[in-house]
Amino acid sequence: MAEKVIAGEKRVFMTGNEVVAWAALAAGAEIMYGYPITPQNEIMHYWTRLAPKYNRKFLQTEDELSAGFTTVGGVMAGKRAFTATAGPGNTLMQEPISMAEAMRLPFVAMIIQRGGPSTGTVIYSQQEVMMTVLGGNGEGLRIVYSTANHQELFDYSIKAFDTAWKYRFPTFVLADGYQGKMREPLTIYDPDDRGIKISDTEPYVGRPGTPGVDRPPGHYRNTYNVEEELYEVLQDHIKDFESIADEVSEYESMASDDAELLVVAHGVVARAAKQATEALRQQGLKVGYFRPITLRPLPSTPLREAVNRAGRMLVVESAYGQLGRLLKEALYGATAEFIPYYKPGVGFTPEEIMARCRELIT
Amino acid sequence: MFFWGARRITRVVEAYVGEYASGKSEVAVNRALEMVAWDEPVTLVDLDLVEPCYTLRPIKKELQALGVDVIAWETGDSIGWGETGNILKAEAKWALRRPGNIVFDVGYGVDGAKSLNLVEGLAGEPSFKVIIVINISRPMTAGVDDIVALVKGLDKVDGLINNTHLGDETTPEVVQEGARVVTSAARKLGLPVIATTAVKEIAAQLGSYDAEGNLVRPLKRYMPRSFW
Repeated sequence: MAEKVIAGEKRVFMTGNEVVAWAALAAGAEIMYGYPITPQNEIMHYWTRLAPKYNRKFLQTEDELSAGFTTVGGVMAGKRAFTATAGPGNTLMQEPISMAEAMRLPFVAMIIQRGGPSTGTVIYSQQEVMMTVLGGNGEGLRIVYSTANHQELFDYSIKAFDTAWKYRFPTFVLADGYQGKMREPLTIYDPDDRGIKISDTEPYVGRPGTPGVDRPPGHYRNTYNVEEELYEVLQDHIKDFESIADEVSEYESMASDDAELLVVAHGVVARAAKQATEALRQQGLKVGYFRPITLRPLPSTPLREAVNRAGRMLVVESAYGQLGRLLKEALYGATAEFIPYYKPGVGFTPEEIMARCRELIT
Repeated sequence: MFFWGARRITRVVEAYVGEYASGKSEVAVNRALEMVAWDEPVTLVDLDLVEPCYTLRPIKKELQALGVDVIAWETGDSIGWGETGNILKAEAKWALRRPGNIVFDVGYGVDGAKSLNLVEGLAGEPSFKVIIVINISRPMTAGVDDIVALVKGLDKVDGLINNTHLGDETTPEVVQEGARVVTSAARKLGLPVIATTAVKEIAAQLGSYDAEGNLVRPLKRYMPRSFW
């Protein structure tokens, strides 16, 4: 990039959506494709305000289906491209995301969850977990980062571009309307200045040379004639995905070594869970905290270890067991007691989580 | 002419405008509450037609109990927030017909200022002032040139407020740096800096005036309770 977007490290005060736009700029994203939907609109608003200054581009499409397919096109042209959406927009986008999954395209999407089903509410939920992790008619060969604060929104939005191009799987930053709309301080920086390398892009189509003579033909398929052809390709993709799981998966845990009750949460709910755990520890209660940062692939091994040590887990989420289902699969065979605390579409305070923990542990 | 913290004779009609998340609403709310002490009717008008978050709706009753007449939607009165935009309340359109002082909280960034065109009689209101709220910790208004460009993009501006902060990390130094940049921009624009605003703990450390000689106005936080 000719001009640095961020000179030096700066402590700033931003909304989450704005953070995503700045992070995409800092990561060298060249084009955003999108269609408006609350609560992600300000990602587009800030991108369109900033993009011309830095010679970046934007295309507003007629809907999210088209925003997804144009992102696919941008990626195939070798551009560091991304999109952002929410709720019903995420639903529509599953078809192009499936295509990206089939063709191993580094599709990057920022998902700012809102309430559902359908148009639900405009602001907040954690109800797009299953759709983002396992949506479409595929096998969920995707990487999903669930952020909890504005610093992470910045850091992981940058990281998503590297991850996507490094492993060639669709990569998501999964936040929510609370994170998108709320405002808090964070440090913004140029990734180069911190030695953060973002994988280079390259075109899938229109490459130099004669296919089959100078280079292998670029044959990117999302359609096969017979089951066996598809099966063979999928086997390779699944093997690749499984082989990177340990390297890609991330988590955060606290006080889990001697915990008798483990609070498990992700995203913005994990903030409340962490605060609750800290407060309960200060009161001498043996509560621990575990937060998967990657919801796909899940950090299964450390999760199992922490859960098995504690023997009981309280799963807190603003959905009716979407994280819960992922955890149950990852923990199959474990004997720990699984205690749900589900409030679909509604947030949690630390006090609520503390109260539930106290009921369970005393 | 502005009279902060003092009783004045003529009617006050002020609109608070600024970059998205600059602190417009907090400044407007505090200004309206300050006016309650003048023992005259005060109307605070929510002119946000877009944003469902950080608007006056959740704190409407609290502000009314403190003596401010608030024109803002209530949850049960409307549907489709953030989805369809808000319909302007009829009371907001005719707010200038009310007696006493009027404060407009103009939401959703500087583009939200266009909603002032929907208020009947505003162009001919002799007391009408537009005040720009600036937080230089917001990257879009971090420098003098950014602020000058922002103000020049608006039809009418009568003064600037330095509302620079970093949330819970705010220090007097952060506010003073904001005062320096905002004052410099104001000089370029030929506009007054009406005040530097800061939460009362920081305001106490700053004293009555900031390093640029601008009046320091303490803020009490109401907007964190208005998130949703």
